[in-house]
Amino acid sequence: MTLPANPLTIVLLILIVPLFGALLSGIDRRITARSQGRIGPPLLQPLYDIIKLLRKEPLLTNRAQVVYAHLHLAFMVLAMLLLVFGKDSLMFLFVFAFSTLSLVLGGMCVRSPYSRIGSQREIILMVAYEPILILLMVGFYMANNHSFQLSAPMMSPVPMLLVLPLLFVAFLVVLAIKLQKSPFDVATSHHAHQEIVKGITIEYSGPYLAILELAHFYELALLFFFIVLFWSSPIWVGILLASFSFFLMTVVDNLFARLTTHWTFKFMWTSALGLAVTNILWLYWASK
Amino acid sequence: MTNVQKFNKSPWVVHFNCNSCNGCDIEFLACLTPLYDLERFGILHVGNPKHADVLVVTGSVNHRNARVLRNVYDQMPDPKVVVAMGVCSSTGGIFADGYNVLGGIDKVLPVDVFVPGCPARPEAMIDGILKAAQILEAKHSGKTPLAMKTMLIRTPTLASAAAGQEKGASHA
Amino acid sequence: MQIQEALIAALVLGPILFGLLILTGVKGPARTGLIVLAALSTIGAGVALPVYTNLSNMVLPGVVTSLGSVLEPLMILIILTIGYRLKSWPVTIMALIQLAFCLAGFVWGHHGDTPDTLLVVDKLAMVMVMIVSVIGSLIALYAVGYMKNHEHHAPHTAASTNRFFTVLIVFLGLMNGLVLVDNMKWLAIFWEGTTLCSFFLIGYDGTTEAKASARRAITLNVLGGLAMSAGLFLAEHRFGSANLSEVMAKGPVTLLPIALLVLATMTKSAQMPFQSWLLGAMVAPTPVSALLHSSTMVKAGSYLILRLSPSLHDTPLAMMVAGAGAFTFVVTSALAIGQSNGKKVLAYSTIANLGLIVCCAGIGTPLAYAAGVTILIFHAISKALLFLCVGTIEQTIGSRDIEDMSGLLFKMPLTTNIAIIGMISMMMPPCGMLIGKWMAIESAARSAPLVLIPLVLGSALTIFFWAKWIGRITTASYHGKYTIESIDAWMRTVLTVIASGVIMASVFAMPIYVLVIKPMCLAACPGGAPGMEISILDNVVDYMGWPMLVVIGAIVLSLVAGTPLFKPSRLRLPYLCGENIDSDETSCAFRSIADAPVVTRLSSYYPPLFGEAKITAWGNPLAFLIIISLFGVLIK
Repeated sequence: MTLPANPLTIVLLILIVPLFGALLSGIDRRITARSQGRIGPPLLQPLYDIIKLLRKEPLLTNRAQVVYAHLHLAFMVLAMLLLVFGKDSLMFLFVFAFSTLSLVLGGMCVRSPYSRIGSQREIILMVAYEPILILLMVGFYMANNHSFQLSAPMMSPVPMLLVLPLLFVAFLVVLAIKLQKSPFDVATSHHAHQEIVKGITIEYSGPYLAILELAHFYELALLFFFIVLFWSSPIWVGILLASFSFFLMTVVDNLFARLTTHWTFKFMWTSALGLAVTNILWLYWASK
Repeated sequence: MTNVQKFNKSPWVVHFNCNSCNGCDIEFLACLTPLYDLERFGILHVGNPKHADVLVVTGSVNHRNARVLRNVYDQMPDPKVVVAMGVCSSTGGIFADGYNVLGGIDKVLPVDVFVPGCPARPEAMIDGILKAAQILEAKHSGKTPLAMKTMLIRTPTLASAAAGQEKGASHA
Repeated sequence: MQIQEALIAALVLGPILFGLLILTGVKGPARTGLIVLAALSTIGAGVALPVYTNLSNMVLPGVVTSLGSVLEPLMILIILTIGYRLKSWPVTIMALIQLAFCLAGFVWGHHGDTPDTLLVVDKLAMVMVMIVSVIGSLIALYAVGYMKNHEHHAPHTAASTNRFFTVLIVFLGLMNGLVLVDNMKWLAIFWEGTTLCSFFLIGYDGTTEAKASARRAITLNVLGGLAMSAGLFLAEHRFGSANLSEVMAKGPVTLLPIALLVLATMTKSAQMPFQSWLLGAMVAPTPVSALLHSSTMVKAGSYLILRLSPSLHDTPLAMMVAGAGAFTFVVTSALAIGQSNGKKVLAYSTIANLGLIVCCAGIGTPLAYAAGVTILIFHAISKALLFLCVGTIEQTIGSRDIEDMSGLLFKMPLTTNIAIIGMISMMMPPCGMLIGKWMAIESAARSAPLVLIPLVLGSALTIFFWAKWIGRITTASYHGKYTIESIDAWMRTVLTVIASGVIMASVFAMPIYVLVIKPMCLAACPGGAPGMEISILDNVVDYMGWPMLVVIGAIVLSLVAGTPLFKPSRLRLPYLCGENIDSDETSCAFRSIADAPVVTRLSSYYPPLFGEAKITAWGNPLAFLIIISLFGVLIK
């Protein structure tokens, strides 16, 4: 079920995937609005946003910002490709982490206190969820005949969700963080203000903000595909699982208020890590 | 809402309070609530001028905040429009004779839309922002007919408000 | 064979000779000339060794062994004298015990023929020789420029610069000798020699702080030396051989001397709970920190434990060693977050990476061995570069605190960019360090899942302090023209050369892996299923192929696309609610209520969570328990 890695497929993926990500984002905004008793924007609103941003004047604060924005996008696209073509899972993880890191460094390189605080909070969030993701990859490794390739869960006869349930739950918490949803939207929340005025992305405007938004679409699609991995045959179940997870994230976002980074760090390194480690341990002993 | 299609589909708004009694600000924030729901027009309330297209200003200009207002305006990327919300930002309002008040914000910025009212009603505000989005579209495409350069939004009377509420009810 | 002998003589004896020549007191251009000659000859010999010889083990005649028997007690006597002079009970007592072991060896030793001294000249030794020769010599050249400046500001208690260079260059010879010998007596001699060099160089400035740090360094290192002497004594008199390879070949019965050697490596590599000496050693001048305490001397410990790794395999000792390394890795990564002193951050990061190498040696599979060697090589280069950058920065701005490095990008563009290259090479995808870390995590997942968890936590923590530091030094507003700062020509040249080396090493990571590392680990490790291991090692090349090229392409393209599009009209001030103060270009100052500027300060060190005192309070006791367990598992 792995796609062949030829140039045509790559180009098609690069062109089509952000549209899917935009749709996911639009559906999320619509559901949020409806649950608050509002009407909400049209489903394709994120695309209108990007088109508008591209038409604006490019403003910057210093030279380095542009580089970081491009790196963020490039690494996110690469991570998406590594996932879809089923390459090494740890390499995928590192590329994905470095994409977020480029965003963080882009936030740090401007002399805005809001941006720096946002970057610092994002680093703490990264430190909070990285162990879970690495343990998830190790879980995949243990469940798939000791293969670190992402193509292994794609072709596995047993759905990963049944073998790695606790890791899936821990991953859902990580998903909430990556989607910038409450209670974890401390670094740069998606729509609302927060006490640090947009955090990391504050000094990006116009086309550069469009680059960051585009990267976020790729990220949304990437996370969606990643959840589909948990039940890859039949694939419609995986898609259903992913849709349900995203819906759950929206619901949680509307239920919770924002909590602090310290709480997030402690929560991830105790509860979520505990879930992940338990799952890994029972896999390890099962294989002995 | 008839002419939405022609407007710029996603005008992002930043709101700045110069010297206001907060009346207009409260009415503006009411626009974001489910009763009036600005987001269905694609309008996002961003806190940061660098992300915004529309600068909504309440309150009059005084010596202290003139340069701050100018600073915030300068940080917005082109194309941008300015909406003066309420009579204080249009002309100075009832504080116009105060010793510290310089007047409306047109003393400092080029204003595109004036929305009178004390406080301005949310419906008038929405109308003003949408008109501003229309001007935005025109500014971007380069044609700014004289008639669109500044527009005065009429505060709805009681009769038109009643008629408007019937129309509004069909959307909710 | 002749060429190899000549080269080895040049590598070991050459620097010692040059060092002694410098000791005669030449000054000025003559001294510089001697240093340059020493550097060039060492680099030349180091590079020529793998290129012009097939590396083969050598046997040296018995007279060398006899010489060793004389030098060893001599070294111990020197340490005893130092202990006496310092009035330090621990050092004196430990040196006396070492002397006792040595004399016991004489008394009960072989009275027959003198055994030969073996030299082991294989790929691992060659890698270390190249690191020591090339990087070490470059650092010595950097020191020429650095010490010129340092002399002006040095406290009056500092020793003479000639002695500094003597010890620095003699050290290179001692390190080369350390990695080439197989005979444990000579190993001990070189080991103690490096301890003495370190003691002198740390205490070079002569201030109270320097003297205290030197004292702590020699105490902990002599502890390691004592362990080594005990191990040597046991090996020679219970198992009959003083050559390491022969001892290792005897199998699991020799586990006790090997455990003692492991303890020696723990102290030399400043693993927990012995890490305090390396932290204190940061008071030394920067070339010392770069050479001894990041690239070479502490790598002697890593080298030894990698060499011991095959004999640890499948023994209970292996898991304890892996656990000790992983524990050090995660705890020192956390400690680095709470430090604002740049050199201390680098020190903790060094200890963390050494812990990672120790962990890989403990895991012992070919993939883990490959990971250990990869980290060894790439860490040596990158960390040396970073220390030299921090030294240059310190000399220019007068502070080594990270908080003072804000806005460095336009004060010192060249050094800052080189520092960014160094820091990025420590954690970014196509670079060797990340490949090594990735291999370490994969090997832990395959063979030792319990060790995996601290490794995973530690690598998450390392992102924290690197990102914070890079962010701090790249904060700058738009500046029309960057003027390249003026730093000493020696320092600038060496920085550029090593920076290019870092980039080249990462670009050629794959050929290095295929040509050097893979054959090394296949030869060294008793694999489980040899077929599987070869395919795993081959897969490393596959994983790296096109994604890495895309990554490098993306970086280059973004740099090209990013910079020329700048026009000053497109630049705006950052958003500070309209209250910007334009004149201040480095801090986030804004105009507050009374029209007065207020500077914002951000704390990113989290003392309650990551403070040094807090973490060492529980880290050191736990580490101590692990060290005791190292020996506990040997009791049957």
